[in-house]
Amino acid sequence: MLFLKRTLPLGIAFALGLVGIAIYYIPHSAAQAMERDLAIWLRIIAAWAYFLGLGSLLQLHWARIRQHQAGWGYSLVVYLSFGLMFFFVLYNNGMGPFAAQASAGGYQWIFSYVYVACAATMFSLLAFFIASAAFRTFRARSPEAAILLVSAVIVMLGQVPIGAYIGDYIPQAKEWLMRVPNMAAKRGILLGVSLGAIATSLRIIFGIERSYLGGGEE
Amino acid sequence: MIEKLLNLDRRYIFIFVFLGVGIPLLLDFSFPIKPEKHAQAIYDQIERVGDKKGTVLLSFSYGPSTVPELQPMALSLLRHCFRRDINVVAICMWPDAPGLAQQALEEIAAEFDKQEGIDYAFMGYKPGFQNVILNMGQDFHSTFPQDAWGASSDTLAATRNIHSLKDFDFIFDLAAGSSIDQMWIPFGQEKYKFPLGAGCTAVIAPDLYPYIQSGQIVGLLGGLSGAAQYEAIIGKPGEATKGMRPQSVTHLIMIAFILLGNTMYFLSRRSVQTAANSQ
Repeated sequence: MLFLKRTLPLGIAFALGLVGIAIYYIPHSAAQAMERDLAIWLRIIAAWAYFLGLGSLLQLHWARIRQHQAGWGYSLVVYLSFGLMFFFVLYNNGMGPFAAQASAGGYQWIFSYVYVACAATMFSLLAFFIASAAFRTFRARSPEAAILLVSAVIVMLGQVPIGAYIGDYIPQAKEWLMRVPNMAAKRGILLGVSLGAIATSLRIIFGIERSYLGGGEE
Repeated sequence: MIEKLLNLDRRYIFIFVFLGVGIPLLLDFSFPIKPEKHAQAIYDQIERVGDKKGTVLLSFSYGPSTVPELQPMALSLLRHCFRRDINVVAICMWPDAPGLAQQALEEIAAEFDKQEGIDYAFMGYKPGFQNVILNMGQDFHSTFPQDAWGASSDTLAATRNIHSLKDFDFIFDLAAGSSIDQMWIPFGQEKYKFPLGAGCTAVIAPDLYPYIQSGQIVGLLGGLSGAAQYEAIIGKPGEATKGMRPQSVTHLIMIAFILLGNTMYFLSRRSVQTAANSQ
């Protein structure tokens, strides 16, 4: 059992990890063919992950409905919405589930006039919370905070046409902030994150990091 | 009074933001939009593709939540491509992008009387993100054997001469997430060497500046402002240009609140110091 639970997964991760890195740099046709096949495998796994996610989501909400947990009505809405969309996808504007997706019909209507509107509304609410958060957090409590505050005001003005309307120096100052201090910071963060990702990958490949095996062991 | 303003109920801020968005949408006024060089660089690249009647790959990597920022960008890019008789191949990297891509393609294709399959192709969605990019680099037709409506990509005029990502004259990714820097650049542009352009939400734009300087992306359209700049460059104001009115006013409101908060902060600090000195 230990072989199946630990040794085999570690062996697969080691072999595929090294092969995955190597074939990226080898232009030989055999390496290219292997890279293509591995990418196809990963796409198949990604596609099946959607079914897993869907099953998990429906299971979770079914448990809430069955146990009448707080807010179980929302879980009912999840089921009703899923059922409605699923029906119209199968109905496919009268053409059935095996024809190519119809460019009109109930599914397209719900997507355009319900889903798009609801999703855009949810995202738009961020503007209100960002405004409230900016009022509370942008306080010049220290010289560093004051620099951040002034930079934020310049970028906010330079990002919209009213900045250029006030004066050409505002978009120019905004561009300088983005191109010099912002880029320097972003590049530093990027290098740090990339080195961290490489280190974590090597730890997984060489079996030092084993948390992905689950079971709370090591 | 100072303490009250310092800890202003956020509902007052919400009301001001609501009015700052709502009133400019109802009124008709405009600010001159000056395109930045990163937007101009995208325009120049598409002009170069237009000179040789080439093919552009448009990747839709966003969903309905970012429609207000990215859909106007998609419309302007398509308008520019079709105006220059450039073939467009559209793919979706997000599962909820096909409906948006289809809307954009149908709207602009009708405007320029373009034929699906001949002047443009809509390939639909494939799961797998970077793996789709890798596979497209190796063999485009095996990655997308059919378009979204079931027609073979080997036979479609818009795609039959495309065998790899290298065959596209320009690739543009419309991104609401990290698809540009974590997928298109490492698994596409770096490996297959093609000109890549980026359009993204405003919040992502600062992350992409290093890639402009390194030359890994030729240009950048950032947020609604980037979309409005592109509308200004192609001379066709649309939803993004309209959106600049509420965005400008809302930014001014936010700056006013930040100034108010800081004024009250310094006044409260001074009153505390005065009280301490008097004791």
